Amino acid sequence: MPANTADNWRACVGGLGVVCLFATLAPSLVAQTDGTGALTGTLIDPSGAPVAFAMVTATSADTGQVRPGATGTDGTYKFSLPPGNYTMRLECRGYKTVEIPSATINENETVVLDRKLEADAQTNSNTATPPQKQTTAPSNNPTAPSLQDLGITPAQAKGSAEAQALLDRRTHMLKVHQRLGLITIAPFAATLITSAAAGGRQTSTTGRDLHAALGVTTAGLYFTSAYFAIRAPKIPGTQTRGPIRLHKILAWIHGPGMVLTPILGEIAFAQKSRGEKVHGIASLHGPVAIATGAAFGLAVVSVSFKF
Amino acid sequence: MLGKLLIGFWVLSLPALAGADSQWVLEQSTLTYHVSHRLHQSEGVSLAARGKGVCHDGQCDFLIAVPVKSFDSGDSNRDLHMLQVTRGAQFPIVTVRTRVPESASASATIYLDLEIQFAGQTALYKQVPFQRVAQGSETRITGTIPAKLSDFKIDPPSFLTVPVKNEMPVRVDMTWHPM
Repeated sequence: MPANTADNWRACVGGLGVVCLFATLAPSLVAQTDGTGALTGTLIDPSGAPVAFAMVTATSADTGQVRPGATGTDGTYKFSLPPGNYTMRLECRGYKTVEIPSATINENETVVLDRKLEADAQTNSNTATPPQKQTTAPSNNPTAPSLQDLGITPAQAKGSAEAQALLDRRTHMLKVHQRLGLITIAPFAATLITSAAAGGRQTSTTGRDLHAALGVTTAGLYFTSAYFAIRAPKIPGTQTRGPIRLHKILAWIHGPGMVLTPILGEIAFAQKSRGEKVHGIASLHGPVAIATGAAFGLAVVSVSFKF
Repeated sequence: MLGKLLIGFWVLSLPALAGADSQWVLEQSTLTYHVSHRLHQSEGVSLAARGKGVCHDGQCDFLIAVPVKSFDSGDSNRDLHMLQVTRGAQFPIVTVRTRVPESASASATIYLDLEIQFAGQTALYKQVPFQRVAQGSETRITGTIPAKLSDFKIDPPSFLTVPVKNEMPVRVDMTWHPM
Protein backbone atom coordinates (compact mmCIF):
# COMPACT_ATOMS: atom_id res chain seq x y z
CA MET A 1 0.00 0.00 0.00
CA PRO A 2 1.19 3.56 -0.52
CA ALA A 3 2.54 5.45 2.44
CA ASN A 4 -0.60 7.43 2.99
CA THR A 5 -2.88 4.46 2.56
CA ALA A 6 -3.80 4.33 6.21
CA ASP A 7 -5.29 7.79 5.99
CA ASN A 8 -7.04 6.90 2.74
CA TRP A 9 -8.32 3.72 4.29
CA ARG A 10 -9.86 5.60 7.19
CA ALA A 11 -11.49 8.01 4.78
CA CYS A 12 -12.82 5.19 2.61
CA VAL A 13 -14.14 3.23 5.57
CA GLY A 14 -15.90 6.42 6.61
CA GLY A 15 -17.26 6.63 3.08
CA LEU A 16 -18.37 3.00 3.24
CA GLY A 17 -20.14 3.78 6.49
CA VAL A 18 -21.93 6.66 4.83
CA VAL A 19 -22.90 4.41 1.90
CA CYS A 20 -24.24 1.73 4.24
CA LEU A 21 -26.04 4.31 6.37
CA PHE A 22 -27.60 5.84 3.28
CA ALA A 23 -28.55 2.41 1.96
CA THR A 24 -30.20 1.64 5.29
CA LEU A 25 -32.00 4.94 5.65
CA ALA A 26 -32.96 5.51 2.02
CA PRO A 27 -36.19 3.46 2.13
CA SER A 28 -37.47 5.31 5.16
CA LEU A 29 -36.63 8.62 3.53
CA VAL A 30 -38.56 7.59 0.44
CA ALA A 31 -41.44 6.28 2.53
CA GLN A 32 -41.94 9.68 4.11
CA THR A 33 -42.36 11.45 0.80
CA ASP A 34 -44.75 9.23 -1.13
CA GLY A 35 -47.78 11.48 -0.64
CA THR A 36 -49.61 9.28 1.85
CA GLY A 37 -50.19 9.47 5.55
CA ALA A 38 -50.16 6.75 8.13
CA LEU A 39 -52.73 5.56 10.61
CA THR A 40 -51.47 3.33 13.34
CA GLY A 41 -52.41 2.21 16.81
CA THR A 42 -52.53 -0.55 19.37
CA LEU A 43 -55.59 -2.39 20.62
CA ILE A 44 -55.50 -3.71 24.16
CA ASP A 45 -57.98 -5.59 26.29
CA PRO A 46 -59.18 -4.43 29.73
CA SER A 47 -56.14 -6.05 31.35
CA GLY A 48 -53.80 -4.15 29.07
CA ALA A 49 -52.83 -7.18 27.00
CA PRO A 50 -52.63 -6.70 23.23
CA VAL A 51 -55.60 -7.88 21.18
CA ALA A 52 -54.25 -9.91 18.28
CA PHE A 53 -55.93 -10.42 14.90
CA ALA A 54 -58.68 -7.90 15.51
CA MET A 55 -60.32 -6.64 12.35
CA VAL A 56 -59.54 -2.99 11.71
CA THR A 57 -61.35 -1.36 8.85
CA ALA A 58 -60.73 2.15 7.55
CA THR A 59 -63.45 3.51 5.27
CA SER A 60 -62.85 6.69 3.34
CA ALA A 61 -65.57 9.21 4.07
CA ASP A 62 -64.74 10.87 0.75
CA THR A 63 -64.71 7.91 -1.66
CA GLY A 64 -66.31 5.11 0.34
CA GLN A 65 -63.30 2.92 -0.30
CA VAL A 66 -62.93 0.24 2.36
CA ARG A 67 -59.45 -0.69 3.60
CA PRO A 68 -59.45 -3.86 5.66
CA GLY A 69 -56.63 -4.62 8.05
CA ALA A 70 -55.84 -6.53 11.17
CA THR A 71 -53.77 -6.24 14.29
CA GLY A 72 -50.66 -8.34 14.63
CA THR A 73 -49.78 -10.48 17.58
CA ASP A 74 -48.59 -7.37 19.41
CA GLY A 75 -52.01 -5.76 18.98
CA THR A 76 -50.76 -3.11 16.58
CA TYR A 77 -52.15 -2.16 13.22
CA LYS A 78 -50.92 0.21 10.55
CA PHE A 79 -52.41 1.68 7.40
CA SER A 80 -50.75 3.73 4.72
CA LEU A 81 -53.58 5.92 3.44
CA PRO A 82 -54.14 8.76 1.02
CA PRO A 83 -54.95 12.02 2.84
CA GLY A 84 -58.61 12.41 3.76
CA ASN A 85 -61.24 11.63 6.34
CA TYR A 86 -61.87 8.08 7.44
CA THR A 87 -64.22 6.20 9.69
CA MET A 88 -62.70 3.38 11.66
CA ARG A 89 -64.21 0.12 12.85
CA LEU A 90 -62.37 -2.01 15.38
CA GLU A 91 -63.84 -5.45 15.79
CA CYS A 92 -62.87 -8.62 17.54
CA ARG A 93 -64.98 -11.51 18.69
CA GLY A 94 -65.33 -11.33 22.48
CA TYR A 95 -65.05 -7.55 22.56
CA LYS A 96 -67.46 -4.73 21.92
CA THR A 97 -67.07 -3.26 18.46
CA VAL A 98 -65.66 0.25 18.44
CA GLU A 99 -66.65 2.77 15.79
CA ILE A 100 -64.51 5.85 15.37
CA PRO A 101 -66.58 8.32 13.34
CA SER A 102 -63.74 10.48 12.09
CA ALA A 103 -60.01 10.27 11.65
CA THR A 104 -58.24 12.81 9.49
CA ILE A 105 -55.14 11.71 7.62
CA ASN A 106 -52.74 14.34 6.36
CA GLU A 107 -49.89 13.85 3.93
CA ASN A 108 -46.65 12.61 5.51
CA GLU A 109 -48.20 12.57 8.98
CA THR A 110 -48.90 9.64 11.26
CA VAL A 111 -52.12 9.51 13.25
CA VAL A 112 -52.08 7.25 16.29
CA LEU A 113 -55.38 5.74 17.43
CA ASP A 114 -54.91 3.43 20.41
CA ARG A 115 -57.98 1.87 21.93
CA LYS A 116 -58.85 -0.32 24.90
CA LEU A 117 -61.55 -2.82 23.87
CA GLU A 118 -64.26 -3.70 26.36
CA ALA A 119 -65.16 -7.32 26.87
CA ASP A 120 -68.50 -8.32 25.37
CA ALA A 121 -70.31 -10.72 27.65
CA GLN A 122 -72.69 -11.76 24.86
CA THR A 123 -69.99 -13.13 22.62
CA ASN A 124 -67.36 -14.00 25.18
CA SER A 125 -68.69 -17.45 25.91
CA ASN A 126 -68.64 -18.57 22.35
CA THR A 127 -65.57 -17.35 20.69
CA ALA A 128 -62.00 -16.72 19.86
CA THR A 129 -61.56 -20.41 19.60
CA PRO A 130 -57.93 -21.05 18.89
CA PRO A 131 -57.22 -23.00 15.74
CA GLN A 132 -57.82 -26.67 16.18
CA LYS A 133 -56.73 -29.35 13.87
CA GLN A 134 -59.02 -31.99 12.59
CA THR A 135 -59.18 -34.10 9.54
CA THR A 136 -62.86 -33.88 8.75
CA ALA A 137 -64.07 -31.15 6.48
CA PRO A 138 -66.61 -28.65 7.79
CA SER A 139 -68.53 -29.39 4.66
CA ASN A 140 -69.58 -32.90 3.74
CA ASN A 141 -72.13 -31.85 1.19
CA PRO A 142 -71.80 -33.98 -1.93
CA THR A 143 -72.65 -30.91 -4.00
CA ALA A 144 -69.73 -28.96 -2.53
CA PRO A 145 -67.44 -27.63 -5.25
CA SER A 146 -64.29 -29.50 -6.18
CA LEU A 147 -60.95 -28.37 -7.59
CA GLN A 148 -62.13 -29.48 -11.01
CA ASP A 149 -65.06 -27.07 -10.65
CA LEU A 150 -62.47 -24.32 -10.30
CA GLY A 151 -60.71 -25.37 -13.47
CA ILE A 152 -57.78 -26.91 -11.63
CA THR A 153 -56.83 -30.21 -13.19
CA PRO A 154 -55.51 -33.15 -11.13
CA ALA A 155 -52.17 -32.65 -12.87
CA GLN A 156 -52.01 -29.04 -11.67
CA ALA A 157 -52.95 -30.06 -8.14
CA LYS A 158 -50.38 -32.84 -8.05
CA GLY A 159 -47.04 -31.92 -6.63
CA SER A 160 -43.58 -33.07 -7.57
CA ALA A 161 -41.26 -34.65 -5.04
CA GLU A 162 -38.34 -34.04 -7.42
CA ALA A 163 -39.09 -30.34 -7.67
CA GLN A 164 -39.36 -30.15 -3.88
CA ALA A 165 -36.02 -31.93 -3.53
CA LEU A 166 -34.47 -29.39 -5.90
CA LEU A 167 -35.85 -26.54 -3.79
CA ASP A 168 -34.57 -28.20 -0.60
CA ARG A 169 -31.10 -28.56 -2.08
CA ARG A 170 -31.10 -24.96 -3.28
CA THR A 171 -32.13 -23.67 0.15
CA HIS A 172 -29.52 -25.80 1.90
CA MET A 173 -26.72 -24.55 -0.36
CA LEU A 174 -27.80 -20.92 -0.08
CA LYS A 175 -27.95 -21.22 3.72
CA VAL A 176 -24.35 -22.41 3.73
CA HIS A 177 -23.49 -19.56 1.34
CA GLN A 178 -25.14 -17.09 3.69
CA ARG A 179 -23.43 -18.37 6.81
CA LEU A 180 -20.00 -18.49 5.23
CA GLY A 181 -20.59 -15.02 3.80
CA LEU A 182 -21.40 -13.66 7.24
CA ILE A 183 -18.40 -15.42 8.78
CA THR A 184 -16.21 -13.89 6.04
CA ILE A 185 -17.04 -10.42 7.33
CA ALA A 186 -14.89 -10.93 10.44
CA PRO A 187 -11.54 -11.78 8.75
CA PHE A 188 -12.34 -9.27 5.99
CA ALA A 189 -12.77 -6.48 8.53
CA ALA A 190 -9.66 -7.62 10.39
CA THR A 191 -7.70 -7.62 7.11
CA LEU A 192 -8.76 -4.05 6.40
CA ILE A 193 -7.92 -2.97 9.95
CA THR A 194 -4.47 -4.58 9.87
CA SER A 195 -3.72 -2.92 6.52
CA ALA A 196 -2.60 0.15 8.45
CA ALA A 197 0.22 -1.87 10.03
CA ALA A 198 1.12 -3.56 6.74
CA GLY A 199 1.30 -0.77 4.21
CA GLY A 200 2.24 2.42 6.03
CA ARG A 201 5.67 3.98 6.50
CA GLN A 202 6.23 2.42 9.92
CA THR A 203 5.42 -1.20 9.19
CA SER A 204 6.88 -4.46 10.31
CA THR A 205 7.23 -7.90 8.79
CA THR A 206 4.89 -9.20 11.47
CA GLY A 207 2.28 -6.64 10.49
CA ARG A 208 2.51 -7.62 6.83
CA ASP A 209 2.43 -11.35 7.66
CA LEU A 210 -0.64 -10.91 9.82
CA HIS A 211 -2.34 -8.84 7.13
CA ALA A 212 -1.48 -11.44 4.49
CA ALA A 213 -2.66 -14.34 6.63
CA LEU A 214 -5.97 -12.65 7.30
CA GLY A 215 -6.29 -11.84 3.62
CA VAL A 216 -5.73 -15.46 2.65
CA THR A 217 -8.30 -16.58 5.23
CA THR A 218 -10.78 -14.06 3.87
CA ALA A 219 -10.26 -15.16 0.29
CA GLY A 220 -10.59 -18.83 1.25
CA LEU A 221 -13.87 -18.28 3.06
CA TYR A 222 -15.13 -15.96 0.35
CA PHE A 223 -14.54 -18.39 -2.50
CA THR A 224 -16.02 -21.28 -0.51
CA SER A 225 -19.11 -19.17 0.11
CA ALA A 226 -19.25 -18.19 -3.56
CA TYR A 227 -19.04 -21.83 -4.59
CA PHE A 228 -22.26 -22.65 -2.72
CA ALA A 229 -24.09 -19.72 -4.34
CA ILE A 230 -22.88 -20.56 -7.85
CA ARG A 231 -23.56 -24.28 -7.51
CA ALA A 232 -27.01 -23.92 -5.91
CA PRO A 233 -29.62 -25.36 -8.29
CA LYS A 234 -31.41 -22.85 -10.49
CA ILE A 235 -35.17 -23.09 -10.47
CA PRO A 236 -36.54 -23.04 -14.03
CA GLY A 237 -38.87 -20.20 -14.88
CA THR A 238 -37.76 -17.98 -12.04
CA GLN A 239 -37.14 -14.34 -12.83
CA THR A 240 -34.80 -12.57 -10.43
CA ARG A 241 -36.63 -9.72 -8.69
CA GLY A 242 -36.11 -7.61 -5.62
CA PRO A 243 -33.02 -7.05 -3.47
CA ILE A 244 -31.41 -10.26 -4.68
CA ARG A 245 -30.81 -8.50 -8.03
CA LEU A 246 -28.58 -5.91 -6.35
CA HIS A 247 -26.94 -8.72 -4.38
CA LYS A 248 -26.06 -10.50 -7.63
CA ILE A 249 -24.94 -7.34 -9.44
CA LEU A 250 -22.59 -6.49 -6.57
CA ALA A 251 -21.00 -9.92 -6.96
CA TRP A 252 -19.65 -8.69 -10.29
CA ILE A 253 -17.71 -6.07 -8.34
CA HIS A 254 -16.55 -7.92 -5.24
CA GLY A 255 -15.92 -11.18 -7.13
CA PRO A 256 -13.23 -9.81 -9.49
CA GLY A 257 -12.08 -7.58 -6.63
CA MET A 258 -11.51 -10.60 -4.45
CA VAL A 259 -9.37 -12.13 -7.21
CA LEU A 260 -7.39 -8.96 -7.90
CA THR A 261 -6.80 -7.89 -4.31
CA PRO A 262 -4.62 -10.84 -3.27
CA ILE A 263 -2.63 -10.66 -6.53
CA LEU A 264 -1.94 -6.96 -6.06
CA GLY A 265 -1.30 -7.61 -2.37
CA GLU A 266 1.30 -10.23 -3.22
CA ILE A 267 3.14 -7.77 -5.49
CA ALA A 268 2.94 -5.05 -2.81
CA PHE A 269 4.14 -7.53 -0.19
CA ALA A 270 7.17 -8.39 -2.31
CA GLN A 271 7.99 -4.73 -2.89
CA LYS A 272 7.77 -3.92 0.83
CA SER A 273 9.84 -6.97 1.70
CA ARG A 274 12.60 -5.64 -0.57
CA GLY A 275 12.45 -2.36 1.31
CA GLU A 276 10.86 -0.54 -1.61
CA LYS A 277 7.96 1.81 -1.49
CA VAL A 278 4.89 0.18 -2.98
CA HIS A 279 4.64 1.39 -6.55
CA GLY A 280 3.18 0.66 -9.93
CA ILE A 281 0.11 -1.51 -10.24
CA ALA A 282 0.61 -2.74 -6.66
CA SER A 283 -0.39 0.69 -5.40
CA LEU A 284 -3.94 -0.22 -6.48
CA HIS A 285 -4.08 -2.97 -3.83
CA GLY A 286 -5.57 -0.66 -1.22
CA PRO A 287 -8.21 1.02 -3.37
CA VAL A 288 -9.26 -2.29 -4.94
CA ALA A 289 -9.53 -3.86 -1.48
CA ILE A 290 -11.65 -0.96 -0.25
CA ALA A 291 -13.95 -1.15 -3.27
CA THR A 292 -14.23 -4.92 -2.84
CA GLY A 293 -15.02 -4.53 0.85
CA ALA A 294 -17.62 -1.86 0.13
CA ALA A 295 -19.32 -3.99 -2.54
CA PHE A 296 -19.22 -7.05 -0.29
CA GLY A 297 -20.66 -5.13 2.68
CA LEU A 298 -23.40 -3.68 0.52
CA ALA A 299 -24.18 -7.15 -0.85
CA VAL A 300 -24.68 -8.41 2.71
CA VAL A 301 -26.78 -5.38 3.64
CA SER A 302 -28.89 -5.69 0.48
CA VAL A 303 -30.36 -9.00 1.60
CA SER A 304 -30.34 -8.28 5.32
CA PHE A 305 -32.83 -5.43 5.40
CA LYS A 306 -36.02 -4.86 3.50
CA PHE A 307 -35.75 -2.03 1.00
CA MET B 1 -102.19 -43.76 -16.54
CA LEU B 2 -101.38 -40.23 -17.57
CA GLY B 3 -101.95 -39.04 -14.00
CA LYS B 4 -99.48 -41.61 -12.67
CA LEU B 5 -96.94 -40.51 -15.26
CA LEU B 6 -97.34 -36.86 -14.25
CA ILE B 7 -96.94 -37.71 -10.58
CA GLY B 8 -93.87 -39.80 -11.39
CA PHE B 9 -92.38 -36.98 -13.43
CA TRP B 10 -93.08 -34.51 -10.61
CA VAL B 11 -91.43 -36.79 -8.01
CA LEU B 12 -88.40 -37.36 -10.23
CA SER B 13 -88.04 -33.67 -10.93
CA LEU B 14 -87.84 -32.71 -7.23
CA PRO B 15 -84.10 -33.40 -6.87
CA ALA B 16 -83.45 -31.48 -10.05
CA LEU B 17 -85.39 -28.51 -8.69
CA ALA B 18 -83.53 -28.77 -5.40
CA GLY B 19 -80.27 -28.78 -7.35
CA ALA B 20 -81.13 -25.47 -8.94
CA ASP B 21 -79.87 -23.55 -5.90
CA SER B 22 -77.69 -20.52 -6.21
CA GLN B 23 -73.99 -20.51 -6.95
CA TRP B 24 -71.24 -17.97 -6.37
CA VAL B 25 -68.01 -17.43 -8.19
CA LEU B 26 -64.93 -15.61 -6.92
CA GLU B 27 -64.68 -12.52 -9.09
CA GLN B 28 -61.42 -11.15 -7.71
CA SER B 29 -59.32 -11.62 -4.64
CA THR B 30 -56.25 -10.42 -2.84
CA LEU B 31 -54.67 -12.77 -0.33
CA THR B 32 -51.76 -11.38 1.65
CA TYR B 33 -49.61 -13.31 4.07
CA HIS B 34 -47.52 -11.46 6.62
CA VAL B 35 -44.27 -12.78 8.05
CA SER B 36 -42.41 -11.06 10.88
CA HIS B 37 -38.71 -11.13 11.57
CA ARG B 38 -36.59 -8.81 13.68
CA LEU B 39 -35.08 -7.34 10.53
CA HIS B 40 -37.89 -7.90 8.08
CA GLN B 41 -41.62 -7.42 7.86
CA SER B 42 -42.53 -9.26 4.69
CA GLU B 43 -45.77 -9.61 2.84
CA GLY B 44 -46.61 -11.84 -0.07
CA VAL B 45 -49.62 -11.18 -2.23
CA SER B 46 -51.57 -13.51 -4.48
CA LEU B 47 -54.23 -12.38 -6.90
CA ALA B 48 -54.59 -15.86 -8.38
CA ALA B 49 -57.19 -17.48 -6.11
CA ARG B 50 -60.14 -19.23 -7.66
CA GLY B 51 -63.31 -19.92 -5.79
CA LYS B 52 -66.82 -21.22 -6.07
CA GLY B 53 -69.77 -21.48 -3.73
CA VAL B 54 -72.73 -23.80 -4.05
CA CYS B 55 -75.84 -23.18 -1.97
CA HIS B 56 -78.09 -26.11 -1.23
CA ASP B 57 -80.79 -26.62 1.40
CA GLY B 58 -79.98 -23.35 3.11
CA GLN B 59 -76.26 -24.06 3.32
CA CYS B 60 -73.55 -22.70 1.08
CA ASP B 61 -70.35 -24.65 0.56
CA PHE B 62 -67.39 -22.64 -0.60
CA LEU B 63 -64.06 -23.76 -1.97
CA ILE B 64 -61.18 -21.40 -2.59
CA ALA B 65 -57.94 -22.60 -4.13
CA VAL B 66 -54.73 -20.71 -4.70
CA PRO B 67 -51.36 -21.89 -6.03
CA VAL B 68 -48.62 -21.52 -3.40
CA LYS B 69 -46.19 -20.19 -5.98
CA SER B 70 -48.55 -17.37 -6.93
CA PHE B 71 -47.67 -15.44 -3.77
CA ASP B 72 -45.36 -12.58 -4.69
CA SER B 73 -43.37 -10.71 -2.06
CA GLY B 74 -41.44 -8.64 -4.60
CA ASP B 75 -38.31 -10.69 -3.89
CA SER B 76 -37.84 -13.81 -5.99
CA ASN B 77 -35.30 -15.23 -3.55
CA ARG B 78 -37.70 -14.91 -0.62
CA ASP B 79 -40.55 -16.36 -2.69
CA LEU B 80 -38.49 -19.42 -3.59
CA HIS B 81 -37.48 -19.82 0.03
CA MET B 82 -41.11 -19.61 1.16
CA LEU B 83 -42.04 -22.10 -1.56
CA GLN B 84 -39.42 -24.46 -0.16
CA VAL B 85 -40.32 -24.19 3.53
CA THR B 86 -44.03 -24.53 2.79
CA ARG B 87 -43.34 -27.57 0.59
CA GLY B 88 -45.08 -25.74 -2.24
CA ALA B 89 -43.57 -27.88 -4.99
CA GLN B 90 -44.91 -31.03 -3.37
CA PHE B 91 -48.26 -29.52 -2.36
CA PRO B 92 -48.80 -26.79 -4.93
CA ILE B 93 -52.36 -25.77 -4.08
CA VAL B 94 -53.74 -24.25 -0.89
CA THR B 95 -57.43 -24.95 -0.42
CA VAL B 96 -59.88 -23.31 1.93
CA ARG B 97 -63.28 -24.88 2.50
CA THR B 98 -66.08 -23.42 4.51
CA ARG B 99 -69.80 -23.82 4.95
CA VAL B 100 -72.02 -20.82 5.52
CA PRO B 101 -75.73 -20.74 6.29
CA GLU B 102 -77.50 -18.81 3.56
CA SER B 103 -79.06 -16.67 6.27
CA ALA B 104 -75.59 -15.37 7.13
CA SER B 105 -75.52 -13.50 3.86
CA ALA B 106 -77.52 -10.74 5.53
CA SER B 107 -75.00 -10.16 8.33
CA ALA B 108 -72.36 -7.46 8.23
CA THR B 109 -70.00 -9.74 10.12
CA ILE B 110 -69.88 -13.45 9.53
CA TYR B 111 -67.96 -16.02 11.56
CA LEU B 112 -66.63 -18.90 9.53
CA ASP B 113 -65.09 -22.26 10.31
CA LEU B 114 -62.30 -22.63 7.78
CA GLU B 115 -60.71 -25.89 6.81
CA ILE B 116 -57.37 -25.11 5.25
CA GLN B 117 -55.18 -27.61 3.44
CA PHE B 118 -51.66 -26.30 3.08
CA ALA B 119 -48.22 -27.83 2.97
CA GLY B 120 -49.70 -31.31 3.16
CA GLN B 121 -51.51 -30.59 6.41
CA THR B 122 -55.07 -29.75 7.31
CA ALA B 123 -56.00 -27.21 9.95
CA LEU B 124 -59.34 -25.94 11.10
CA TYR B 125 -59.77 -22.34 12.18
CA LYS B 126 -62.98 -21.80 14.05
CA GLN B 127 -65.14 -18.73 14.14
CA VAL B 128 -62.89 -16.49 12.09
CA PRO B 129 -64.61 -13.11 11.71
CA PHE B 130 -65.07 -11.61 8.27
CA GLN B 131 -66.70 -8.40 7.26
CA ARG B 132 -69.29 -8.59 4.52
CA VAL B 133 -70.15 -5.63 2.35
CA ALA B 134 -72.76 -5.85 -0.42
CA GLN B 135 -71.70 -3.95 -3.53
CA GLY B 136 -74.59 -4.18 -5.99
CA SER B 137 -74.96 -7.81 -6.92
CA GLU B 138 -71.49 -8.59 -5.62
CA THR B 139 -70.40 -9.33 -2.09
CA ARG B 140 -67.06 -8.28 -0.71
CA ILE B 141 -65.59 -10.32 2.12
CA THR B 142 -62.63 -9.07 4.13
CA GLY B 143 -60.90 -10.45 7.17
CA THR B 144 -57.77 -12.03 8.51
CA ILE B 145 -57.05 -15.70 9.00
CA PRO B 146 -54.89 -16.11 12.13
CA ALA B 147 -52.68 -18.77 10.56
CA LYS B 148 -49.61 -20.11 12.30
CA LEU B 149 -46.71 -21.94 10.72
CA SER B 150 -46.89 -24.63 13.37
CA ASP B 151 -50.49 -25.42 12.39
CA PHE B 152 -49.08 -26.80 9.15
CA LYS B 153 -45.90 -28.27 10.64
CA ILE B 154 -43.79 -25.69 8.83
CA ASP B 155 -40.44 -24.98 10.43
CA PRO B 156 -40.14 -21.20 10.72
CA PRO B 157 -37.52 -20.10 8.21
CA SER B 158 -34.63 -18.31 9.85
CA PHE B 159 -32.47 -15.46 8.77
CA LEU B 160 -29.20 -14.60 10.49
CA THR B 161 -29.99 -17.61 12.68
CA VAL B 162 -33.15 -15.89 14.00
CA PRO B 163 -36.39 -17.64 13.01
CA VAL B 164 -39.42 -15.70 11.85
CA LYS B 165 -42.40 -15.50 14.18
CA ASN B 166 -44.75 -18.46 14.22
CA GLU B 167 -47.73 -16.25 13.42
CA MET B 168 -48.41 -15.78 9.73
CA PRO B 169 -51.74 -13.94 9.46
CA VAL B 170 -53.32 -14.00 6.03
CA ARG B 171 -55.38 -11.00 5.04
CA VAL B 172 -58.28 -11.85 2.78
CA ASP B 173 -60.11 -9.51 0.45
CA MET B 174 -62.51 -11.27 -1.91
CA THR B 175 -65.31 -10.20 -4.17
CA TRP B 176 -67.94 -12.84 -4.94
CA HIS B 177 -70.40 -12.70 -7.78
CA PRO B 178 -73.60 -14.74 -8.05
CA MET B 179 -73.62 -17.05 -11.09
